[in-house]
Amino acid sequence: MRVYFRYAFRETISNLWRNRMMTLAAILTVAVSLSLVGSALLLKQSAAQASVAWQTGTRVTVWMNAAASQGELDAVRTQLADSPLVHKCVFFDQARDYKEFLASLPPSETNVLTVADMPTSFRCEPTIPADAFVVESTFKNQPGVYAVTAPEQQIRQMNHAIRILQVVFLALAGVLLLSATVLILNTIRMAIFARRREVSVMKLVGATNWFIRIPFITEGFIQGLLGSFVAAGVVTALHTWYPLHNEFALNNVALLGTNAVVIGVGVLIGSVGSAIAIRRFLDV
Amino acid sequence: MIRFENVGKTYPNGTPALKDINLDIKKGEFVFLVGASGSGKTTFLRLLLREELPDSGRILEAGRDIGELPKWRVPYLRRNIGCVFQDFRLLPNKSVYENVAFALEVIGRPRSTVESQVPQILELVGLSDKSKNLPSELSGGEQQRVAVARAFVNRPLILLADEPTGNLDPANSESIMALLERINRTGTTVVMATHDKALVDRMRRRVVVLDKGEIIRDQVRGVYGVNEGAAR
Ligand SMILES: Nc1ncnc2c1ncn2[C@@H]1O[C@H](COP(=O)(O)OP(=O)(O)OP(=O)(O)O)[C@@H](O)[C@H]1O
Ligand SMILES: [Mg+2]
Repeated sequence: MRVYFRYAFRETISNLWRNRMMTLAAILTVAVSLSLVGSALLLKQSAAQASVAWQTGTRVTVWMNAAASQGELDAVRTQLADSPLVHKCVFFDQARDYKEFLASLPPSETNVLTVADMPTSFRCEPTIPADAFVVESTFKNQPGVYAVTAPEQQIRQMNHAIRILQVVFLALAGVLLLSATVLILNTIRMAIFARRREVSVMKLVGATNWFIRIPFITEGFIQGLLGSFVAAGVVTALHTWYPLHNEFALNNVALLGTNAVVIGVGVLIGSVGSAIAIRRFLDV
Repeated sequence: MIRFENVGKTYPNGTPALKDINLDIKKGEFVFLVGASGSGKTTFLRLLLREELPDSGRILEAGRDIGELPKWRVPYLRRNIGCVFQDFRLLPNKSVYENVAFALEVIGRPRSTVESQVPQILELVGLSDKSKNLPSELSGGEQQRVAVARAFVNRPLILLADEPTGNLDPANSESIMALLERINRTGTTVVMATHDKALVDRMRRRVVVLDKGEIIRDQVRGVYGVNEGAAR
């Protein structure tokens, strides 16, 4: 057994080195395609997280003009309280809105704002989430109202955009994964061709089929694995530095899961590529 | 040791290579297989290695029908059969020592076996002093001796040789022949396909003559023959 591992290791490394340009191309293609897969997965998870976060909070915000009079304010307050569409409302005065802005915006933007610049607002929860739009149309033309926003809609638009992005990512990744498999298949084919003499001698002296095959299989396996390691690095970097992901605070478990999928897929295409090459080109 | 029972072989393209072959070769025998080009000698040897399967009849080796062997057992069958070819089939980027050692390494023999067996067999073929040379640095005769060493290093029960002297001059043919005889004296069954009339006539060993896929003569102390098989 020890003899065999030494042999298989030596053969695999020398095969990889002999075809190093092809090997590099295969590894890079695997890396790029799996980076796309990983990003698509991260995107999907953070979108799901974002929807949950927003849906549990306020759904409709009625923003008042900064110059709105107390009468206008009271009128809106009573109407909101009486409306059967609205479950409950909280009034945010200028100080409270200012505090929220400080928390949600970067300092570069908040330091030009003062409490006096802030609008006041009613944060309302509709009785039925789908009624958010009715509330919006009812109140947006009230005197003293600056605007009514329903984040529900933004979520929906964002989810839609993310879904399109995801489909594009996954389609691209699919095409790239396919070409990565073909590239791996081709490097194995070249390795088999380069070693046809050795293979024929091995068959002649009675080496078992697996003994002959395994160095070629590990070769594809290693290419898939190296490519997916690079992709896992890219995904981790994205998770750490790209703001979209941070904003929704995806935890490390999600990152680990994504990387596990990336590496699993890498190993899979490496093995599939070499398995096909061996079936087609290695006659043992 | 080897037994052919009504063996027929036609290649998929329709070429009939062997027809109704019946033959018995005992353990330790030395058999020359002669015949014109295309008479089926190589096919005969390929059947013994199970590189091909017969269409009819059966082939027994050491009492076992090799056609019945499951595919995964075939490598183990081949470990008992050494093989030498006209074109040597050495690995050009490996030294003499490595070429011979390769045959043991790839069947999983431990390093200690390799280290004791390889020098011993190189001694036998008289190439101890060239063990570090590459095949390209050797004469044809020396290369063929390396090939014989590789075929015999695992001490097979049967040694097959397909025109082993085909590319060699008479002196080198002579030394290969002497080597095969020595191997035969250790009890190894040797089957050698050849066109070398002088060699066969001088050795006075069993001669099986093939013609268009059929055995037309089988003599215990035979000669190459004048009429049949003299095509070359
Ligand atoms: N792989 C193959 N496919 C089809 N036909 C083949 C194949 N190998 C050999 N033949 C045919 O089978 C017949 C016997 O061939 P074989 O190689 O056994 O002859 P041989 O006696 O070894 O000849 P030589 O002395 O030239 O080596 C020939 O007619 C040959 O053309
Ligand atoms: Mg032949």
